[in-house]
Amino acid sequence: MNGPSRLSRSMLVLSGALLIIWLILPLVPMLIWSFAHGWRFPDLLPQQWSLQAWDYALSDRSGTLESLGVTILIAALATLLSILVGVPAGRALGLYKFRGKGLIELMILAPVIVPGIAVALGLHSVFIQLGLTNTLAGVVLVHLVPTLPYMTLVMAGIFANYDPAHESQARSLGANAVQTFWHVTLPAIMPGIIVGGLFAFLVSWSQYILTLLIGGGRVITLPLLLFSFASAGRNDITGAIGIIYILPGILILLFTARHLSGSNGAVGGFGRI
Amino acid sequence: MPAFGPPLASLFLSGVHDFASGEEPTHNEAQGLKSVPSLPVEYHVHRKCSNVAHVMLDICSTYRTTKTTKSGVNVMRILTVTVLLGLSTAAPSLADTADGASLVGQDWEAIVEMARGGEVNWFMWGGADNINIYVQDFVGTILMNEYGITLNQIPLADTVEAVNIVLGEKEAGNLDAGSVDMIWINGENFRTMKQGGLAWCGYTDRLPNNALVNWDNPVIANDFGVPVDSCEVPWNRAQFALAHDSATLPEPPRSIPELIEWIKANPGQFTYPAPPDFNGSVFIRHVFYYAAGGVDNLLGDFDQAKFDAAAEKTWAILNEIEPSLWREGATYPTSINQLNELFANTEVAFTFNYDPSQFGIAVDAGIYPDTVRSFGLVDGTIGNTNYTIIPFNSPNKAAALVLQNLLLSAEAQLEKARPEVWGTSPGIEMDRTDAAAQEAFAALPSHPSVISAAELGKAALPELQAGWISAIEQGWLANVGN
Repeated sequence: MNGPSRLSRSMLVLSGALLIIWLILPLVPMLIWSFAHGWRFPDLLPQQWSLQAWDYALSDRSGTLESLGVTILIAALATLLSILVGVPAGRALGLYKFRGKGLIELMILAPVIVPGIAVALGLHSVFIQLGLTNTLAGVVLVHLVPTLPYMTLVMAGIFANYDPAHESQARSLGANAVQTFWHVTLPAIMPGIIVGGLFAFLVSWSQYILTLLIGGGRVITLPLLLFSFASAGRNDITGAIGIIYILPGILILLFTARHLSGSNGAVGGFGRI
Repeated sequence: MPAFGPPLASLFLSGVHDFASGEEPTHNEAQGLKSVPSLPVEYHVHRKCSNVAHVMLDICSTYRTTKTTKSGVNVMRILTVTVLLGLSTAAPSLADTADGASLVGQDWEAIVEMARGGEVNWFMWGGADNINIYVQDFVGTILMNEYGITLNQIPLADTVEAVNIVLGEKEAGNLDAGSVDMIWINGENFRTMKQGGLAWCGYTDRLPNNALVNWDNPVIANDFGVPVDSCEVPWNRAQFALAHDSATLPEPPRSIPELIEWIKANPGQFTYPAPPDFNGSVFIRHVFYYAAGGVDNLLGDFDQAKFDAAAEKTWAILNEIEPSLWREGATYPTSINQLNELFANTEVAFTFNYDPSQFGIAVDAGIYPDTVRSFGLVDGTIGNTNYTIIPFNSPNKAAALVLQNLLLSAEAQLEKARPEVWGTSPGIEMDRTDAAAQEAFAALPSHPSVISAAELGKAALPELQAGWISAIEQGWLANVGN
């Protein structure tokens, strides 16, 4: 190994370490808070350590574990539906030119541009008429509003760099439509599905107002519990529920990290339609 | 490589952003119900519904009671029903008691029988674990054991969210199958519900424990100046108090003029949350009462001439102390929690609260040091009552009535008055309860950090009507917080 590459390697390690510190450091006070009983300025560490917050957060009456399950179920279903809708939509936008494409792109982006609260009350009214309020199904459906733009845009970027001639080759070699999709299309777009799915999962995971309105209080997800304590200044319980809240996101990031390396050419086209 | 920015940022921020925008009810006035002509497509839905699997019966029955104006929506409905088969978690309603008028005609035993085995969905501010535990463990257990009623407590960051749900349901034409059965409420939110026709009214004398409520007391019969008119039931009483740390400040100022002098002598150690924060607003009203030379002149309907005279003095006082406030008054906390945090970190010397039991809760949670004490003002502090309300479209009104009656009972009021449970003042008159309850109540220990309700009550001031309150808040924004 020569000099420059050792230098670039140490730069890589350094920037990696900085990134990890930047991501992890804000979580440290939250972790400490969750075990603190009294932590006031100017003390560096809490006056007293306590398991009270965790005791409450993990008890039945707080409902944290139950809503963790509900939140995972909703985010997983919303992700699955986003993939089912977003992959074909992304293919159409990425591969084909058609009249009104700009308008459709704008409409797909609209939920990201328009503030959630502006549409939440209108959506509530529509969902009441559909009889979907107060149900898990309704909450999953309404989460598609903010998750679909991410999924569709990622897939459109993937398909913009995708050559459908590979599919034709497979077909000419005797593969049927299912085999072509399974062995040719899917592996090529898989990084996009993972990235888009991760976006969709985390966006669904963090919904508050939409869940509260459409779920009508019957569907209690972790953000609902978390924000009622966060807004009341209970840093200890907020810390404990907060750690439970971010764990799935971190686990998913770890499991999918290798697909996010950027070395895969297909991902390079993200953002370009 | 894709940026992680949006999802990671939204993981930490978007939810906070959603509620930090502090949604007020966007349509305060109830809008007239949209006309809902019944269309032939109704039949279509029926037939489709009768074909789907048994598990979907609930959704179908919901559909039959809901009407829409667009046939396109019906196609969507059917599609969604088919797609989402089995996902629904809607529980079958056992005994629908949405019809309030026929319910009040029943005797109490019949109401209890109708409520038995049902459920009640109580939406309430959920930011205190001890209150959540009291509601779920104590109230919920009695409700289940004695009446077989399941209590679902829905924690809220802000009560207005529940009001918005009911408002949205009314606008969408959901008149008898709402999702909210009861809300812990008072003030502005009560006014919105009463004026918007969102509250169920005219039932309170059906509750046996209503006899324990002193409706002749104007503080009970008026919720921030708005007559209750049998639209809600009192739960707790609260009276404003200030808190200080006796270790660093043994003798706090005990009147508004003394406090003003103290602030000028100790720059940077006092601030108050900007309205419309509930507690910041009530602090400003104390200054307003002082500037007006007492509250007697201010009771009744809003009076522009009286307001102008007192308001001018109030803004002069508040502008005069502004350079002596925390950060020289360049900025104010936007919520009572920010003030509490400044107080906990000893950046300011005082916090205050409409509910003094909060000081004890914060000490027990380790947020404040044990040496925190609370006090009232010699000229009196403002008191109010908070209530529970049943929305007009609650389908579980019988169960909500049973819950309200239980909350009013001597047993439940005594339990929540215990300092280790909650320490809040009863909404009922304890001297109307039986001898054993009175004795137990008199023997309650008090939390050292919470001034006793009896002590505080020696000098109590009434709340003003809503017209005054909003004029003071807007005047502050224009003249002080600009």
